[in-house]
Amino acid sequence: MPEIFIDYQRFEFEQPGKVLQFMLDAGLDLPFFCYHPCLSIPANCRQCVVKAGMPVLNREKGTFELDDKGERIIRYFPKLMTACSLDLTDGMVIHTHHSDPLVKQAQADNLEFILINHPLDCPICDQAGECPLQILTYKYGPEGSRFEHKKVHKPKAFRLGPRVVLDAERCINCTRCVRFTDEISKSHQLTIVSRGDKNYPLTAHGQEFDDPYSLNTVDICPVGALTSADFRFKARVWEMNQTPGIDITNGKGCNTYLWTRDNLVLRITPRQNDHVNSHWMPDSGRLAYQRFNENRVHRPHIKLDGNDQVRTSWNNAILTLREQLEKTEASEILAIGSPHAPVEDNYAFRKFFKMHGVSEFFFVPDIRPGSGDGFLLSDDQTPNTNGVRLLDFKETTCKNLSSKIQGDKYKLIVLLDDSLFDRPDWPAIDPGNSYFTVWATNHTPTTAAAHLVIPVTCAAEHAASYVNVDGRIQRTVAAKETRYTNRRLNLEMSMGRLDHYGTQFDNWVDEKNRIDCIPAWEFFKKLDAEARFDWNSSREVLNEISRTLPVFEGVSYERMDTLLGVPLSISRNTPVDQKKTIEPKP
Amino acid sequence: MTDDWKTYKPLLLPDLPGLTDIETYEKYEGYHALKTVLDNPDTWSPEEVVLQVKDANIRGRGGAGFNAGLKWSFMPPPDGKPRYLACNGDESEPGTFKDRKIFEFNPHLFIEGAIIAAYAIRAEQIYVYIRGEYRAWVRILQKAVDQAYQKGYLGKNILGADFNADMTLHMGAGAYICGEESSLMESLEGKRGYPRVKPPFPAQRGLWGRPTTINNIETLANVPLVIRNGSEWYRRIGAETHPGPILYGISGHINKPGVYEYPSGMSVHTLIHEVAGGIRKGKKLKALIPGGSSTPPLRADVLDGLTMDSDSLRKAGSMMGTAGMVILDEDTDMVDVVWRISHFYHHESCGQCTPCREGTGWLEKTLRKIRNGDGEMRDLDLLLAICNRMEGRTICALADAAAWPVRYSIERFRDEFEAKCKQTVYALS
Amino acid sequence: MAESFSFDGKDLEVIRKILSRYPHKEAAILPVLWYAQDKFGHTSPDVQHLVARTLDVPEAHIHGVVSFYTQFYEKPMGRHVLDVCTCLSCQVCGGYDMLSYIEDKLGIRAGETTPDGQFSLQSVECLGACGYAPMLQVTNKQYVNHLTPEKIDRLIDDLKAGIEPSFESMPPKQHEKDNRLS
Ligand SMILES: Cc1cc2nc3c(=O)[nH]c(=O)nc-3n(C[C@H](O)[C@H](O)[C@H](O)COP(=O)(O)O)c2cc1C
Ligand code: SF4
Ligand code: SF4
Ligand code: FES
Ligand code: FES
Repeated sequence: MPEIFIDYQRFEFEQPGKVLQFMLDAGLDLPFFCYHPCLSIPANCRQCVVKAGMPVLNREKGTFELDDKGERIIRYFPKLMTACSLDLTDGMVIHTHHSDPLVKQAQADNLEFILINHPLDCPICDQAGECPLQILTYKYGPEGSRFEHKKVHKPKAFRLGPRVVLDAERCINCTRCVRFTDEISKSHQLTIVSRGDKNYPLTAHGQEFDDPYSLNTVDICPVGALTSADFRFKARVWEMNQTPGIDITNGKGCNTYLWTRDNLVLRITPRQNDHVNSHWMPDSGRLAYQRFNENRVHRPHIKLDGNDQVRTSWNNAILTLREQLEKTEASEILAIGSPHAPVEDNYAFRKFFKMHGVSEFFFVPDIRPGSGDGFLLSDDQTPNTNGVRLLDFKETTCKNLSSKIQGDKYKLIVLLDDSLFDRPDWPAIDPGNSYFTVWATNHTPTTAAAHLVIPVTCAAEHAASYVNVDGRIQRTVAAKETRYTNRRLNLEMSMGRLDHYGTQFDNWVDEKNRIDCIPAWEFFKKLDAEARFDWNSSREVLNEISRTLPVFEGVSYERMDTLLGVPLSISRNTPVDQKKTIEPKP
Repeated sequence: MTDDWKTYKPLLLPDLPGLTDIETYEKYEGYHALKTVLDNPDTWSPEEVVLQVKDANIRGRGGAGFNAGLKWSFMPPPDGKPRYLACNGDESEPGTFKDRKIFEFNPHLFIEGAIIAAYAIRAEQIYVYIRGEYRAWVRILQKAVDQAYQKGYLGKNILGADFNADMTLHMGAGAYICGEESSLMESLEGKRGYPRVKPPFPAQRGLWGRPTTINNIETLANVPLVIRNGSEWYRRIGAETHPGPILYGISGHINKPGVYEYPSGMSVHTLIHEVAGGIRKGKKLKALIPGGSSTPPLRADVLDGLTMDSDSLRKAGSMMGTAGMVILDEDTDMVDVVWRISHFYHHESCGQCTPCREGTGWLEKTLRKIRNGDGEMRDLDLLLAICNRMEGRTICALADAAAWPVRYSIERFRDEFEAKCKQTVYALS
Repeated sequence: MAESFSFDGKDLEVIRKILSRYPHKEAAILPVLWYAQDKFGHTSPDVQHLVARTLDVPEAHIHGVVSFYTQFYEKPMGRHVLDVCTCLSCQVCGGYDMLSYIEDKLGIRAGETTPDGQFSLQSVECLGACGYAPMLQVTNKQYVNHLTPEKIDRLIDDLKAGIEPSFESMPPKQHEKDNRLS
């Protein structure tokens, strides 16, 4: 096996690759800025320099030359090499700052150069706290500056596009943003303009940087040169908790981080998953944070008489629905699942009503051909179409469903979280004469029309699974508390720095932003008068699903966590065999 | 040095009027070398041309002085896909103005050399990158290229041989860095002139990712001479380790500035005092920049016995570069000159690598401060420290080229720099 | 309202010829920008837009290229652009004196354009005429060597009268009579 020696330590490598990436994979530290594993390698920041050498080969004998002590004689490259562009080579010897003072000096020198024209903006810069330049300067940089001239001035707080703001003085010219638009999003909207120390990134004249993936440049910009117009000045990174999530705005299911403070999601950023979204996500998915915070259904709502809904107690909501169920024949119940709701909730919904004798379950996929881009935006506007399909809900259309509702057949309509009335092809808002119950995260025209609205947790509040357009099941982790969850007690929630070290007076103790809602599966458990459901967490719901439904066999939260989602063996065109796929427990 | 040079007959720029016209050129053995090669493919296989040129040891005239034939031999074996020859006529190094002489007075010699080079490296496309300011010379060269096409020296089946070659002139647009070979390729490909990371070298991945050889115009103009007269003949011209005719461009404080063709290894004193008529206004010499602005300046007192070839210049602490000699007389303000050189590199840095982008500006600003009388002694050490941090740490050699003149001027003319600095002593506070 | 620029059939023919010399269309960017600048006098944003559309390459890329090369005029310049070399050899031979002479004469500083739009003045880097210093180049075209105040006066008068300088050949010194060896 080929070998490489880094700071006198021996490593083996199998695949060809670059020294820097190898070191990162091996958990070794080396400062760098311009390198990004998904982009071409310009080696322009010059931060990752190392001393590199090769053993001297005796061509005749085919062995390495040895010195008096029997050690290999190493011939070093005359200049320091950039590890990001240096090919792993058998026998190569690398010295980083840990074993070579010159390398250490060179790293500090380079940072001094980077900083001479860099403004002293950290106190007012959004990037502070998660800024590679700041971090690496603390770790590897020089102390103080010997630069006593005027810094080069460039545009500041310049609107590059609708979502991205540029501070050209902070730019260190790593070209990551330009390479992103050239190589990943392929919009080619950015370029570096001018030359030398006047360089900075810009669009064509009069053009907006409105690439649907533009905010990824903010993520990869190693300094505060590119910031998000939306998130600017909203919060310091160290005040926020960071919880893994899934993008629920379309079918791709990009892996995300939800950044929360005071039980509000303040921003969404991509989380690396090479099976799904690599390091990226579309801008549209990032805006979903608003729907997690705003316009939420808080406590059950009920229509007494007329069109006005009032808040009611959970008890009353449950009793009302039980009453409705008692007076309605199973054949008169129209049950509609939701591609917006997770697998667990759809399963619990179906199981509950199946036990009530309902035999047909519908859902309306929201697939808009042509709206996807073949990259991270799918035609499918919902996160769980495949999940609902696998649970044997029948696909139908807005038109069909609406005529069912208008008809006389159904007395009770139960609709899991799906704002059908918002859909462009929904013919009429009128829910007909039946009793209309919806489970919902947000107020919508659909909830406005309902007689009973049950508030349910959103993707930021529950641990739950979604099956993406490629049949990969992935799960969320609760990022914000509801009325009934508590980060410090609930083991299914992620714990942040603030949870561990926070005090009474910390932001977390804000009751205001905790929504009065529960997961749908929990509601059905409560709703069942005979208490036949024994789940205590969504994890247990999923375990039951994986036990009983062959397609989900072997799926668990643990596996989803370690494998970053589990691919299910389905193909979109294979209809699911009903009997095999769903077998509710008595 | 003997007076041999007085009887030297120029080979690259012979004193023959009308050589721009192809018929005149043909009259004086023009395109014979190409004919010799193409008519005798058995003796003159591409490999043989490479060997001869390598043996002749034509050292690149673009600045680095690399053996041209050796460079050609790095081209991988042909694989049926395109390969390129790029001719470097960017000529932007301050003090250098020689390639334009070839365009203007003997363009066909260069064209012939380039075609032979293309044959040797099995390239069918030749691009000539010429700085945009040389528009007038591009016209002249284009006329010569058109004639060469008409006469069948360029195009398909050249001289009936199984060899095609096209030559395209490509104008730069004002960027010194595009003379750096990988930047030149980027510029040719229609991009910003950002030098590429090496390896891969152009012979592995050059223009459009294909094997490419890049040579200076003057380098290529030497090729027909080698084919016509043999490598041994060529090696006997001038300095042993750096043979051949050289276009010396002499400028600055000199009586008869201009481009002169003499063998390599000419005595510096001869060139200055005899060939170019001595220092202006009878002044004394203070310094010589021997090969363009990036070569370290030499003090007048180290020039005795110095000859213009890489060995001799290296020993004296400088380089041959482009043989663009800038003569500075005793009245020259070295600080001012070095500041202006720094200004040049600051202006021309492409800006992709940190040490060069930031260092060139820092050097210039500090030198300007000293020039303006605001400098302090510690600034001199700072300048040297900046040079240390730039040299050998960048993608291309521009950063080194920017650092050397500063470093060596301070080392060699420190008294002048100190005299400009405030003589402040900082008390410990 | 921005002026609109376009290429006519003849222009497109030239551009097609340019394209035929290269394996990839991007390589035609510099030549086509030159062609456009010759035609329109500048490579302003609208011209960049035209070139990008004509070659079907990203406009941002054209912007990056134009702003990298100093000979492209992103902003329209005076009718005559005087590029005075002040670099090394020209500097030591009086390049700055010539620059300030022109500055005084035209009443503008380097980097500016006369109010009547006749002249733009720039201090530029080495133009490869170091042996003929001090020198200048007129609007990316002819070189005017061995500058003296008188020569500058004449040049500016000529340019005002619409007379462009002609090409000054600078034969190798070696061949000049007094240098030639018998
Ligand atoms: C900053 C920089 C500028 C250069 N400019 C030129 C130039 O204007 N002309 C040239 O021929 N070579 C120039 N070179 C050298 C080229 O990179 C390359 O070595 C040369 O063209 C090779 O040709 P040769 O081997 O025939 O000399 C430059 C190099 C550097 C680093
Ligand atoms: S804006 Fe950021 S990502 Fe873009 S080049 Fe500058 S530092 Fe790099
Ligand atoms: S050394 Fe300077 S000119 Fe060369 S690539 Fe780096 S920044 Fe550009
Ligand atoms: S990370 Fe290697 S040079 Fe930037
Ligand atoms: S220094 Fe002025 S032309 Fe070279």
